[in-house]
This record gives sequence, C-alpha cells and structure tokens, in this order.
Amino acid sequence: MDRTSQYQWAILTTPLVVFLLLFLGFPALVNLVYSLSEVRFETLRTPTLSGLGNYVEVLADPAFWRATWFSLRFGVVTALAECLLGLFLAIFLAPLFRKHAWLIAPIMLPLMVAPAMIGLMYRLVLHEFVGPVPFFLYEWFRWSPAFLDVNTAFWTLCVVETLQWTPFAFLLFHMAYQAIPEDAREAAMIDGATPWQMLTRIELPLMLPTIILAGFIRFIDGFRVFDNVYTLTGTGPGGSTMSLSIYVYEAFFKQGAIGKAVAASMILFVASFGVLWSLNRLAARRRSS
Amino acid sequence: MITNALRWLVLAVAIFAMNFPVLVTLVTSFKSARELSTNPGFWINAPTLENYARVLQVSDRLNIFAYLANSFAAAMIGTTVAILLAFPAAYAVARGNFGRRTMMPVIINLRAVPLIIFAIPLYMMFQWLNLLDTQLGLGLILAIVNLPLALVILVNAIADVPIELDEAAKIDGATTLQIMWRVIRPVVRPALVTTFIFGFITAWNEFLFGLMLTTNKAVPMTVGASFFFSASGGGIQWGMASAVMIIGALPPMVLGLLMYRQISGSMTAGAVKG
Repeated sequence: MDRTSQYQWAILTTPLVVFLLLFLGFPALVNLVYSLSEVRFETLRTPTLSGLGNYVEVLADPAFWRATWFSLRFGVVTALAECLLGLFLAIFLAPLFRKHAWLIAPIMLPLMVAPAMIGLMYRLVLHEFVGPVPFFLYEWFRWSPAFLDVNTAFWTLCVVETLQWTPFAFLLFHMAYQAIPEDAREAAMIDGATPWQMLTRIELPLMLPTIILAGFIRFIDGFRVFDNVYTLTGTGPGGSTMSLSIYVYEAFFKQGAIGKAVAASMILFVASFGVLWSLNRLAARRRSS
Repeated sequence: MITNALRWLVLAVAIFAMNFPVLVTLVTSFKSARELSTNPGFWINAPTLENYARVLQVSDRLNIFAYLANSFAAAMIGTTVAILLAFPAAYAVARGNFGRRTMMPVIINLRAVPLIIFAIPLYMMFQWLNLLDTQLGLGLILAIVNLPLALVILVNAIADVPIELDEAAKIDGATTLQIMWRVIRPVVRPALVTTFIFGFITAWNEFLFGLMLTTNKAVPMTVGASFFFSASGGGIQWGMASAVMIIGALPPMVLGLLMYRQISGSMTAGAVKG
C-alpha cells in the first residue's frame, strides 16, 4: 500500500473519527475530570479537583450495589430465558418458516416497537381495573397477584423484556439453523442417528457460536436496561427495580449529585471496557487457534 | 400431521404472547371511556374513534403533531449523519483495510457500552453549545447510536463488491472519491437503504436521550407519549393514552413489516460479523 492511498483512506475516515472524538472522546474526558472533582450545578465550569471522594461515596452507597445486583441478575435471567425460548422456537418451528417465510414478520414485530412504549403499554395490560391480565385471572381463577410490588416487580420486568426480545435471539438462531449444511444432516441420518441425537450431537454444536453470541448480546442489553423499566416501574417500590442506568440518571437529574453520577458512570465505563476487552481477546484467540 | 398442528399452535401462541401489549393497546384505543371501566376484554361492544379525535387536538401542554415532527426530524438527522460519516469510512475499511484493527472494533463495541455513561457530559456540553431541547442536538446523538450498525452493514456490503469494478474505473482515470461515489455507491444502494430504514427505526424508538436532552420544543414521540398518562390531573385516561401509543408505535411497525426481510438480515449480519 503506497503512501498516497494511505493518505486518501485517512481523509475518508477523518469525519467519522472527529465526530466520535467530539461526542464520545470529549465526554469521556469530562467524566474523568468531574469524577475527580467537587462540582455542583452552580460551579459547573470550574470544578475543583478533590481526589477520589466521589468514588468512595458511590462505592459506599448501598443503592449502587443494589442497582448493580439488579442489572446483573436482570441481564442473566433475561438472556437465558430469551435464548432458550428463541432456540426452541427456531428449531421446533423451522419447517413452518421454510415453507412460509413471511411468518418471520409477525414474530419480529415486537422488535419494531420502542421499549419505552412497551413499558407504558404494560402499565395498561397489568392495571388492576382496566388491564386484561388481572381481569382474566380474576375471571378464571378468582385470584390475581400484585405484579409490581417489591417481590414481583423484578420478575414481571423480566417477562416484559423477554417477550419483547426473544424474537431477536430467535432471528439469530433461525439463520444459524438454516445455515447448517445439509450434508452434515444426511451423514448423520445414514449413520442411523435419532432426531434427538441429530439435535444434540450435530445441530446444537454447530449453532454453539451463535448461541454464545446471542446470549452475550442479550446479557449486555439486559444489563444496561433503562427504557422499559423506567416507563413501567421507574425505580420501583423501595428502589427495587433500579438498574445501574437508572441509578446514574436519578443521581444526576433527581438528586443533582453530579459527582456521584459521574463517578458511577466512570465505574460503569471501566467495567464494561474491561468485560468487552477480555471478550474481544477471547474471540481473537479462538479465531487464531 | 399432529406435530404440524402443534407447530402452528405454538407459533400462534408465541405471536400472540409477544405482541400482547400492542394488541391490548390497539383494542383499548377503540373503546369509549364508559366501556373501558366495565370491559377489559378483547371484544369491543361499541367501537369508537373518540380517543383518536381527542389525541389529535392540540393544547398548550400536549401536541402530538409536534412530537411526531420532532421524532421524524431527529431520526432523519440521526440516520443521515450516521450514513454520511460511515459510508466513506466503510469504504476505507473495506478497500484499504484502513482502521480495521482499531477503529472498527472500538466503534462496534460502542453498541455494547451503556450509553448512559456519556449522557451527563453530553448534557453539559449541549448546555454550553445551546443544543439542549433542539431537534439537531437530539439528531446528532441518535447518529452515534446508529453508527456501529451502519458501519458494519456498509463495510460488509462494500467488501462484497468485486474489486475489478474499482480497478476498471481506476484505469479509466477515476479518482478514489469518484470511484466511491460513482461506482460503489450505486452498487451498494440496497445496503444503504437498509441502513437507512433500520437506523430510522432505531432512532425513532430511542428514549433515554430524548428524555434527558429535551424538555419542551424537541420532545420526541417516545417521551411525549408518557405526557398523556398524566394529561388531565386526575386518573389516567386509558383510551387516550392507548391511542397515543398506537400512533407513536405505528411508523416503525409499518416500516418493519414492509422491510422485514432486509431488517432481519441486517440485524443478524450486524450481530454475527460484528
């Protein structure tokens, strides 16, 4: 590659890089400086460096750890549920989709709706007077649980998230399942494999990379959840549904605790950077081996 | 035979369950206030359009046309800017291997970073730049949200174009910029359209930054919808709230249904190759 063309490529990439430095690089820098400073809304432009006080405050805040626990648990539970359901649908319904490809459309429709809207819609769905779910539960069983109290809100939100995002896992698995080469199946068939053996010995192993990928993507999205939780329960009864994203938002906009909010952002930044970096390393090593 | 019937049953249940909130909201939006309090079921005794009529009335506090216009403008800006930035960069990555080792991974991983991290500095930055509560400000942030997938889709699309096309154009004396614009762009048009539609849907559905960066003039639909929940001081008017949500959710749903093939393709391509 000669010098002039390198130069040309650099010019074509420059607008993107400048944009990202401006809108992500600079904010990251501001985060770093402010997290180490004493700052209030009145002194926004003149922060005074004050060391690690903000970080200590965040790490000593029980609400921060509750939010971390909520986000981790929410990410793991929803990723698992979505992948299992998506896998089941993709494999069990495969014959239908092979014949009627358009059936994909109604399945992926939930992905087109804003999660924030879905959260609002469930306020109606679960409402004790006008919502159909409590209504029919009463009608049929003479009983309906409180869906959004301290103990149940977490699981209700998991169901809400899972029902909306299972289609995403399903789509990935559907593609992976269709991509399994026919010879692999035929060879197993000739060797007299039962359908169950075909699934567990041939198909699932071939789909494993996709399963791991889908699980990872869904975990990340569950971990950083904001929209649907915020519009359905907010921070929830007793802060029981405060995710880390909501924690940062509340600290800044509701409490005006800029230092705390920014320090929590930095912790989240470092944590996600660490996780992503090690995952990328892992993926790179797998590719090269 | 029986297995096949079971398959159709499972499919029907899955589609019903996953689209349940949208269906309930759709049905509720056609119920009168009187019927709502007595009949939460799926059958509508006296369908009415009064909820839609009331939602479309503009008041000082609620203006659904403004929310729709804001969402549209911000999503258009967010999608156009993302493509304008990503297309030349994608060309450099695909043809020159420029930035494949550092820039690409960094941008792709952006999708996995909780964006709230950047929210507070961006809020302060926008305050200094007078971009708070503007369509342009929100649009620029939506461009960031759209960038990772735009880049992945476009890099893949350009890589699939035979390099002979570039070489033939070069022999004819075309510059790199001309090749990109006159040769590559027409060939990858379908990918550009997909990127645009997908980006538009993503931007339309964004909530967090709409909530933080707008208060009044530039409020998008996702945020404006929640205003109707506390519209009249007293209890929530569910019929009206439902009509708002249906109107707000309709544009991306229609786009999604029309383009489901391309969208499902790019969703999975973005995930697998990214």
